[in-house]
Parts: sequence; C-alpha cells; structure tokens
Amino acid sequence: MSRWMRLGLPVAAVVLALVFSGVVATLVLLFTGDDVVGFWRVLFTWPSERDLVDIINMTAILYLSGAAAAIGFRMNLFNIGVEGQYRLAGLFAGAFAAQGLLPGKLNVAAAILVAMAVGALWAGIAGVLRVWRGVSEVISTIMLNAIAGSLIGFLLVKWGESTGNARNTKMMPEDSWTGFFRLFPDVSDGAYHLSLLAPLVGIAFFILVYYTRFGFDLRAAGASESAAVSSGVSVKKMIVVSMLLSGAVAGLIGVPMMFSEAHQYGSAFQTGLGFTGIAVALLGRNHPMGIAFGALIFAFLGQQANLLNILAGVSPDIVNMTQGIIVLSVVIAFEVIRRLATRIEQRQVATQLDAERQGDTALKGASA
Amino acid sequence: MTKDLQAVPAIELRGIGKRFPGVIANHDIDITITSGTIHALVGENGAGKSTLMKILYGVQKPDSGTIAVNGHQVSLSSPSDAIAIGVGMVFQHFMLADNFTVLENVVLGAEKIAGIGDDARNRIRQISDDYGFDLDPDDLVEDLGVGERQRVEILKVLYRGAKIIILDEPTAVLVPQEVDALFDNLRELKDQGHTLIFISHKLDEVLSVADDITVIRKGTTVASVKPAEVNARQLAELMVGSVLPSPSTEGSTVTDKVLLEVIDLELDDATGRPELVDIDFAIHAGEILGIAGVEGNGQTELVETIIGMRRQARGTIMLAGEEISEWSTRRRRETGVGYIPEDRHRHGLLLDAPLWENRILGHQTRPPSVKGPFLNPPGAKADTGRIVSAYDVRTPGITTTARALSGGNQQKFIVGREMSSDPILLIASHPTRGVDVGAQAAIWGHIKRARKAGLAVLLISADLDELIGLSDTIKVILRGKLVATFDPQSVTPQQLGSAMTGADAISEERS
Amino acid sequence: MRTFAKMAAVVMVGALALTGCGKTSSEKDNNASGSSSVDVCKGSKGEPKVGVAYDVGGRGDQSFNDSAYRGLEKAVKDLGASCIEAKATTSDNDSIREQRLQTLADQGFNPVIAVGFLYSPAAAKVAKANPNTNFAVIDGYSTTIATDAKNLSDLVFAENEGSYLVGVAAALTSKSKHVGFIGGTHGDLIKKFEAGYVAGVKSIDPKIKIDIQYLTEDPSDAATGFENPAGGKQAATAMYQGGADVVYHAAGKSGLGLFEAAVAAGEGKWAIGVDSDQYLTAAKDQQPHILTSMLKRIDTAVFEFVTAFKEGKVQSGFVNYDLKVDGVGYSTSGGFVDPIKAQIDAAADKIKSGEVKVPEKP
Repeated sequence: MSRWMRLGLPVAAVVLALVFSGVVATLVLLFTGDDVVGFWRVLFTWPSERDLVDIINMTAILYLSGAAAAIGFRMNLFNIGVEGQYRLAGLFAGAFAAQGLLPGKLNVAAAILVAMAVGALWAGIAGVLRVWRGVSEVISTIMLNAIAGSLIGFLLVKWGESTGNARNTKMMPEDSWTGFFRLFPDVSDGAYHLSLLAPLVGIAFFILVYYTRFGFDLRAAGASESAAVSSGVSVKKMIVVSMLLSGAVAGLIGVPMMFSEAHQYGSAFQTGLGFTGIAVALLGRNHPMGIAFGALIFAFLGQQANLLNILAGVSPDIVNMTQGIIVLSVVIAFEVIRRLATRIEQRQVATQLDAERQGDTALKGASA
Repeated sequence: MTKDLQAVPAIELRGIGKRFPGVIANHDIDITITSGTIHALVGENGAGKSTLMKILYGVQKPDSGTIAVNGHQVSLSSPSDAIAIGVGMVFQHFMLADNFTVLENVVLGAEKIAGIGDDARNRIRQISDDYGFDLDPDDLVEDLGVGERQRVEILKVLYRGAKIIILDEPTAVLVPQEVDALFDNLRELKDQGHTLIFISHKLDEVLSVADDITVIRKGTTVASVKPAEVNARQLAELMVGSVLPSPSTEGSTVTDKVLLEVIDLELDDATGRPELVDIDFAIHAGEILGIAGVEGNGQTELVETIIGMRRQARGTIMLAGEEISEWSTRRRRETGVGYIPEDRHRHGLLLDAPLWENRILGHQTRPPSVKGPFLNPPGAKADTGRIVSAYDVRTPGITTTARALSGGNQQKFIVGREMSSDPILLIASHPTRGVDVGAQAAIWGHIKRARKAGLAVLLISADLDELIGLSDTIKVILRGKLVATFDPQSVTPQQLGSAMTGADAISEERS
Repeated sequence: MRTFAKMAAVVMVGALALTGCGKTSSEKDNNASGSSSVDVCKGSKGEPKVGVAYDVGGRGDQSFNDSAYRGLEKAVKDLGASCIEAKATTSDNDSIREQRLQTLADQGFNPVIAVGFLYSPAAAKVAKANPNTNFAVIDGYSTTIATDAKNLSDLVFAENEGSYLVGVAAALTSKSKHVGFIGGTHGDLIKKFEAGYVAGVKSIDPKIKIDIQYLTEDPSDAATGFENPAGGKQAATAMYQGGADVVYHAAGKSGLGLFEAAVAAGEGKWAIGVDSDQYLTAAKDQQPHILTSMLKRIDTAVFEFVTAFKEGKVQSGFVNYDLKVDGVGYSTSGGFVDPIKAQIDAAADKIKSGEVKVPEKP
C-alpha cells in the first residue's frame, strides 16, 4: 500500500466526515427554520484577533483533555473520569498555590506537580478497582466524577472564601501568577504561558507511545489483549499505570487558565472539559497529532457558537449537535477506510505473490 | 425407499471455486452426494472443507461452478436460501442461548413454522421421539450436556424442515460414548430418508459411519472412495498427498540435560474444578515431546500454564534448572521460551500492525528490538528482513500489515520470530494448523532444526502423523491428565487414537 | 467486529457526554405559560439597545432568567428599547463569557446586562475594555474586581430578607410544625435563601422542624442543581412523606418538581415558589398548592437599570435591592396568605426599620 494511500485515506475520511456533518447541520437548520445563510457566514468568518487568542488557548486546554482520554483509549480503557480528575486537581493546585509555600515560579511548578499527582491518584482508584475487583472503569470513573463534585463543594467551604456570591480558594500570591504570550499588539491577552504544557504533553505522548517499550506494550494491549498477554505484557500493571498517566495529564487541564486568569480555584473554573476531551480524542483517533486537530476544531466551533448565537440567532445547541455529528461521522469514516485499506492491501499482496509464483502450482489451503 | 431417489443425487457440486485475497480456498470441486446416505468429507485442517460447506449453506458465494440440489440448479446467497430448499447446517461451535429452554432455542428465528407455544412443543417432542433424541422441550440448555446440546442443534435444523444436513466436525467436542450415540442418531436419520454430510478429519470415525467418502486436499477433490475399499492408512495418504512426513531419520539428538521439567502440576478453573491433574514430564535438550489428545482435553491450559498466562494451583515448573513457577510470562520468555501459539490471530500477532512491529511482540525487552527503555525500529526492521528471507515469508515488504498475509506466511513469520533471541524451549501449539502444504513442510523443517540445535520442544498437535513424524516421545492427554506414553517409532495412529479417546481406560473409569 | 462494537460504545458515551454537557433548555419550553411566550426582542427597534446574556437554564426557567426577561419586556414596551438575548451553556468559561459580553458591546448594544454572578470576572474585564458601554451583573460581584470602573454595576438582592418573609408564611401555615427547604447547588448564594427562610420560620416558632436539602453538593453542577425537576420532585416527596407540609425551594427549574410533588402529596401540602410569582406560571392543578413565592425583583432591577441608563443616571458599583426598596418580597396570588398577611407585613416592617437583622449565612 503506497505511502500516498496511507496518508491520503485518513485525510479524505476526515474531510468527508466534516462535509457530511455540515450537510446534516444545514438540514437541521432548515428544518427548524433558522438562519442557514447566517450560520455559514458566521462560521466561516475569519475570527477576530481576540477570538483567535481564545481559540488557541482553548485548543491547548482541549488538547490536554483529549490526550488524557487518549492514553486510556490506547489500551481500551475508557477513562470517563477525566472530568472529576481535572476539577479535583485544579482545586488542590489552586489551594496549594494560594499557600505560597514556595517563592514565585517554583510555587507554580510545585502546584503543577500537585495537580498531576491528584489527577493520577483519583484516576488510579479506578485503575486499582478494575484490576483488584474487576469493576468496569467506565462505571467507577463516572461514580468518581460525582464524588469529586461533592468533595470539591465540601473542600471549597472548608478552604475557600466568599467573593460576592462566588466561593473560591484564596487568591494565589502575585509572583505565582503566570502571564500571557502576547500574540497581537491590539489584544491585551495572549496565549497562557502554561498552554505550553499542551505541546510538551503532546511530544511526550508521541515519544512514549511510538518510541518506548512501555508505549509498545500499551498499543499491543489495546490492539489485542490476548496477544499482549502471550507476549508477556502484564495487563493488570498496564491498566493501573495507564490510568495513573491518564489522570496525571488530566490534572493539567485546568492549570493554564487558572494560573493566567483567575489565580484561584472557584466558581469561574470551567467544567465539562473532561467530557469534551473524550470527543476530541475520538476525533483525533488517539493520535498525538490527530488530537491537536480535533482540539482545534472543537475550540473553533466552541468559540463560533457564541457568535452564532448573537449574530445569527442560532442556538449554541446546534453547534453542540454539529460537534457530536462530526465525532460520529469521523469514527464511522475511519472504520470504513480501515476495512477498505485492509482489503486493498490483501489484494495487493495476493497479486504480487501470484505474479511471483507464476507457474508454481502450489495452492494454499483455506484458513478462512 | 431410497432406490428411486438415488436416480437424482441430493447434491451435485461441479467445478466450485472460491478465492480469498491471497488464498485460493477451493478450486475445481466436484462432488456427487447420493440421497439418503451419510457422505463423509475428509481432509486436513485447512484443506478447504469448511469453506466448501459454507458455500453449500449459502454463507459464502462461490466464484465459479454450479450447485444442484435434488437435480435443480440453485444459487444460494444466504443461509435462509439454503434452509428454504431443505439444506441445514450444524456448526462445530453451538449457537445456543444457554439461559433459554430447548423449545425457545429451537423456535428462535423459526416462529412462523408452528408459533412458540404448544404446537411447537409437540412438534419438537415428535421429532425427538422419531429420531431417539431424548430431549425435553422445556429443559434449560445450560443444564444439558455437550451431546444433548448437539442434538438440540440437529433438532433445530430438522425443525426447519431440512432433508440435507451438514455436520461440521461434529465429533470434535464429544467423548467416545457421545460419539457412538451421535452415530446412532445419524443412522436413524439416514434410515428415515435424510441425507447427511459429515465433515471430519478423524479417519476411524469416517470409516465406521460413512457410506461414501470424498477426500479434499489443497482446496480440491482428489478422490471419492467407499469405506470398504480403503483402510485408514490409505485414506490418510489421500488426505495429505504423498508428502506424509517421514519419522525423523536424523537419529536421536536427545541429551540427558533436562531443560523443562513439570512436576505434579495442577490447574483449577475459576470455580475450582480441576483442569489439569498430576501433570509430570520432562523435556531434554534436543528432544521433541509431542502431546496428543482430542481437542479440549487440557492442551491449551497446559501451554498457558507453562508460559505463565495462567497460574497453577499446585506443582512446580523448572526451566534449565531454575524454578519458574511464580515467574511472570515476560520473565519466562526472556529466559528463552519461544511460543508458537495455537491461535496465531489472537495470541501471536497484532493483525493491523506492520510486520516489523510484530517482530517486537513477545521480544519487547530484548535486542535487537529495543535499546534500554526505547524501541529500536531500525534494529527491529533489519531483523524482520532477516526473518522474512531466512524463513521464506512471502510478503511484499516488512511494512505490510500481518493481516494481509496468508496463514502459512503468518505462521512462518511467527516461527522465525520465536526462533530469534536464542530460545532454549520452543512451545509449538498446532504449528501447521491452517497453513498450506509448502509452509507445512517448511515449518516441520524448522522444528527439526530447533531440535537439532539442542532446544527442548513441546509439540501439541491434533495431526497424529505430524506428532509421530516429529516427536521423540509422545504423551497422550485426556481430561487434563497425561494418560499414556508412546514411542513414536512403534506407535500407530490407531493406538494413539484409542488412548486419546480413553477407549482402553473407559471401562475402569466410567464404571 | 469486537473493536468496532467497543468503538461504537465509546462514541455513544462521547456523544452522551457532549449532549449532556452542552445541555441548555430550549427556549421553546413552556411556551404556553407565562409572559415569556412572545420574544419581545424579535423586531424590536429603538433606543436604548439592550443586550442581555442569560445564565445557564436560559429563558423559560419560570424563575430566575424569566424574571430578568420580564424586566426586559417592560423596558421594550414602556421605554421603547430594543434588545438581543444570548444564551449560556454549562461548559462556559470566563473567556467565552467575555467574548459573549464583548460581542454584544461590539454590536452596539448598550447597556449590556449579564444575568448571574458567574459573569462577574468577565464583566469586570470587558467593562474596562469598553468604557463607553454600561454593564450590569445580576447578583454580581464584578465591582469588587474592577473597583474603579464607572460603567459597571452589580445589581444585588437581599434574598435573605425575602426568604425570611416566606419563612414566616410557612411557619404560620404549617399544621404539622414541620417545613422544608430545597436548594439547588450548595453555594453561598443559595445558602442566603436558606438562612433567611430558617430565620423567618424560627421567628414564629423556634420549635418548628426544618428539613434542608440541596440537590447537589457540587457547586459547579448547575445541571443537577437547577435543571433537575426530577431531583426536585424526589427531594420534595421525601419531605412531604416525612411530615413536612410546607416546602420552599431555591432551585430554579428543579423547583418545578416540587410543585408536582405537592400535587401528588395532596390536600394541605404547600409549596413556596422563588424569584418570580410562580403561581402565575404554574399548571392549574398546581396552583392550589402554591402558598406564595419569594419575589426577587430582577425584573424591577433590569427595568430600573435600563431606565436609569436612558436618563443618564446609572449608578455604578453595588445597587442593593432589599425589602426597603421592594427589591424582594412575597406574592399574594391565589389569596392563600391573605389570612396571615398582617403578620407577614409586620415582619417586613421590622426588617425595614432595622429592628430585625436577617442573617445571610445559615
């Protein structure tokens, strides 16, 4: 199978899936009697500089969330608990940073480690339950999400303070605030300093999965658990380790925004990112590059949803729905091309070998 | 009554051919099956029997050739087409819902025939009585034994009005008494005018029950014989062609150095029921120990326990003088255990990964595939190239996915991989199952070379000729126990066969 | 095939998660009832152009957001204003909220009113960047962040005082000497309702038993707290079965479940509404059970803010809507509180005069 086909088929699949989603969204808009022209005009308007900054930041955040989910997916572990893991991690990191135990950026670094540790531990509970008692990680992580929410409420009351009607952790010392990379002279904000965590995680993820023994074991266990076990992979260990890794990355999700914007954990802390990350990972086929692409699409659509609401009068629900359709159609498209590619490859092998063996009458038995 | 029907054959297959990508499963198949007979279709594993039957049952469409049923040419595009013209199939693996009753299982999908109530119940009783099936429609399937379940499957087919019944390796899962009972049922069916097609590679069974025998080899029909005209040996030669493996002529290479020693090994399943009992054996450097047995008698469990995928309840496993009973699979493999798994798709390959990544599988911790904690793709690729040429793996390249290769080439690749990194023990489970004849000969050669190189080889096979041809010692496993030991120089397939089925021991054991 | 099935399972989870987190109420909900049936913004022209950004739940919640909408409606009708509305989703963050407010400002809307305290940090930032646009945050604390912004107002309410009055009503009505309170999320805002209510009940009879339940302890889980009628019904049913005969809710849309539970519990079981006069929007069979509603006059606040803007008299900083200025109160629709009106009004007078201080925290 040519290199062209290997690269071209997935791209074609994504493009087709996007076009298909657009068609469905248009039909829905027509059906509901919304402003179709306005929808597409707003959607395809090049974002303002301010919006571009927001899109970049959101892409970084969604990348972290997608990567967290993808690490689990790589070995067929469905960590639905990214949501609870990053929120709890955000609370602990915020509360820790507010103590100001360490000076300046050292405090930030330590808070990041706290966030990763808390995320990892919270996810690790699900991993251990799965290995030790066979509890499905889907169920346990969903339960852990609910527990995390209540725990956050409790801890915010204990540790937090009220600002108006909001309750937040204490403000962190100013020397621990991280700033922005100014991208445009006219926009006061820029990319969060800590959004750099996203490319760092991406590179680490890429190397880990494709260039390490651990990554090979992870992929093997995901592709065929039985083959992995025969090859000597301890699936139990892999489950726990990959849940820990997934949770550690999840812990980072809330960090960039918190340190650059709110400087405290509280009511303004964005929720729901963990669930979006699942969709982003699916969209990106759990591949470090694909996730970046998925994160960008979701960040872009999320940003445009707001504008659509105001400028075209289209409900944000439509955009949410479109995001869902994109995920579904990308997944289906990839399954279709996977089968297509297999068939093409088998045919190529057969033709090539048949040609080689012209005259050779040896025939193969059916193993089908 | 069968006289006049004989004029028109129940089934006539002419020139049937079927290709899969990379594999020719069937070609130029010609079979005539007389009405009201038991017609056996024999051939090795992978000879193309199952594909042929799937074609006849409408699961797959032939690429060429014609099918005539009762004299009428038919085109079958689904099993329901086959059922409509009175052809039914009983698969090797039962398709029954355990928590349903016999009645429910039988009427499932055939509600139109007699509903799901008393009509259906009476009909089932009637069929059961007619053929001596001894089934109660209201029994839960989960309470039934294997033989009874098989009768439910046959009843399902009869209930749907089949006059021609295909049975795919029906005896593979049965104990000897059940086999006898099945044959009685089959004869009863035949006497009542049904036509039975019986697929098997167990020659003694075929000779005892069939009226006609068609031999399939390498995807095509090579002979049609009557049981009275041949003996088992002749039939076997027809099945495998002239290339029956000759017993190792190179003389014994067995040394007195014990490499693998298994002492009092016992394995229990999750419910505590014993799966392996009192397993004791040793394999020396340069020795091939063959394990013979009817499938499902503990072979898989034995291999999985030795490789460390399952943990023994009691007993000891020693490898080269070290106790490895508590070691992880990885540690065992690192110490030098090569493993050719029984099911290469599930246990031996990552089907959608390129060949060079498959080279790493099972060798994740050993050079040339890795450097420290990192993979070493150039090393793995270079070594994959070596395996491809040294083991004659027919592939366009090392980036081809494993799935694209034919079974024989997949298996040659696995053998090559498992012989890398200097193993001291090679476990080969059904190493030539489902591979073409060329690959089969090559794999036998590789196993013989491994023996010569001083490896201990544990060979598990359902192919008695393979076992006799390769092994230095043969042990027979029956219901999780090693029940007999034979010298392959002197044993006959018949002797092995009776030990495998427990024919010698039945009287004492089942008193 | 197996992997495909697994894949499909994940996709379903993903899709559910997406729809779950993006859940907002359709504006077509509850079209039939209440004043929110007609969209006053469609086709409205004139000055001032008012931009409104709603809180989660949006218009149609029959309580919090709808109360803001009524003020907007009045401004369009009485002042000739025009308007536009923007929705929130549960997955908003500060950047998204900023963008929403900024876009409204960019489109020339002035003033811009943000409904819900979550908008506070965003409003503080956007107000600084747009000094010529006036911003107001309902329940907000934005002026504690942007302390020097002259174009920023926080419209805040003395929910505790209003809740005190319905607490008095509950205590006087209860025969079983057992009442209840259902909160949405367990945050500071809703605790204010609880504190006032409890104080009001105890002022009549300190021995009255009060059941208190919040629908979620997770302060960010607005979906479970405020958009969960089933949860509200479950909590209320338990209270009625446990002997309570008057239950007050501060749980947005989840409160609709309370009314259903009151109907199911039968004669003599009362519910108290919140924010809007919920008697007016309730179903016929529910009306006989709605004793009163704690009125939080967001409509007044919105209308007054637009009026002040038109007249050039906007007050920046905190604008307090307490009992004294009728910013909070109780409703009398249905006439069920008529017999005890004198006692409630007496309690109100004591608060207005400063004789009674209503606590803000439980």
